[in-house]
Amino acid sequence: MSTPSRLGEVMALDRLVHEPARLLILAVLSGAKEVEFGFLEQMSGLSKGNLSSHMSKLEAGGLIEVRKSFRGKRPLTELCITPAGRRALAAYRQQLAAVMQELPDPAASTKRR
Amino acid sequence: MSANVENRLHELESVTRSYARYSRSAGGMSSVLGGVLCLIAYLGGPLLPGTPLARAALIAIPAVWLLAKGWMMRHYYQRMGHVEEWETPLERRVHCFCVAVTLVVAVTITASIGMAARRHAWSLPVGMLGYLTLVWLLVVAAWRWLRSPLDFIVGTFLFCQAALISAGGFYPLIGTTHTQQGMLMSLVALMFPLAALALIARGVAEHRQFHELRLRLEQLRGAPAGEP
Repeated sequence: MSTPSRLGEVMALDRLVHEPARLLILAVLSGAKEVEFGFLEQMSGLSKGNLSSHMSKLEAGGLIEVRKSFRGKRPLTELCITPAGRRALAAYRQQLAAVMQELPDPAASTKRR
Repeated sequence: MSANVENRLHELESVTRSYARYSRSAGGMSSVLGGVLCLIAYLGGPLLPGTPLARAALIAIPAVWLLAKGWMMRHYYQRMGHVEEWETPLERRVHCFCVAVTLVVAVTITASIGMAARRHAWSLPVGMLGYLTLVWLLVVAAWRWLRSPLDFIVGTFLFCQAALISAGGFYPLIGTTHTQQGMLMSLVALMFPLAALALIARGVAEHRQFHELRLRLEQLRGAPAGEP
């Protein structure tokens, strides 16, 4: 495969999913029907504000659904992955695997030199 | 790098799935408690003296179990936050079937008691009202809490035993009755302590799995988000 087309594949990766924090959110959500914000916060190690900002982007892209309610007097935020989000995550994993397979191994080229 | 990312994504998904089990299909120590309470209700019904205190304690057993189940889920197994488990279509169908069975039984019992009460100017003894209440509470409990087949069997027994005790009866132990109906009832009831033992064994295994899961969660928690 030529370098430009490889570059094209890298550029074709879904930027919304490719960002590490958002990838983590999607991976966690894909393992359950519904996830409370607190669990995601602890799993990601992100601050509340940072996590909320990534959630908003994923929600705007239609990849996750965010439900806000109250448990007693405490606000409760629950998230779930949408079918589109599930498809996007699967497609991203396939694309990434294909791209990485095509790239030359830097360790091997160093040895050759 | 791709393999690392793939492994990390897979690990995150798998850990979340295992954690989510404790919202629905896995009970851990609450399953052990359910099994123990089932054995107490099975033996306590015929063996305990019929004092009001003993009867009240046996009637309260299903509520105690369900409350403990919810408490343990929220404050022990899912203390990092609630994560709801996916239900497979088969699990959904089995659950709907179980709820439908309890609903049909509740309607049948209510109709037959209603017809009997009509002949006596609608006067029902207090125990019978308690019996009916528990029969209908079983439908709610089956829908809301009794998600796995073992939970359903044990939960159904706890409610049925409580309902019988509130009406002045109980499931007889095998060999303690000589009437045909009593022998049949004691034979059917024999499956409940067996289910209780199976539930205890399952609960212990789930509790052990939870300890392993906790270690995996500790390793994954707070790992740099930049390397999913």
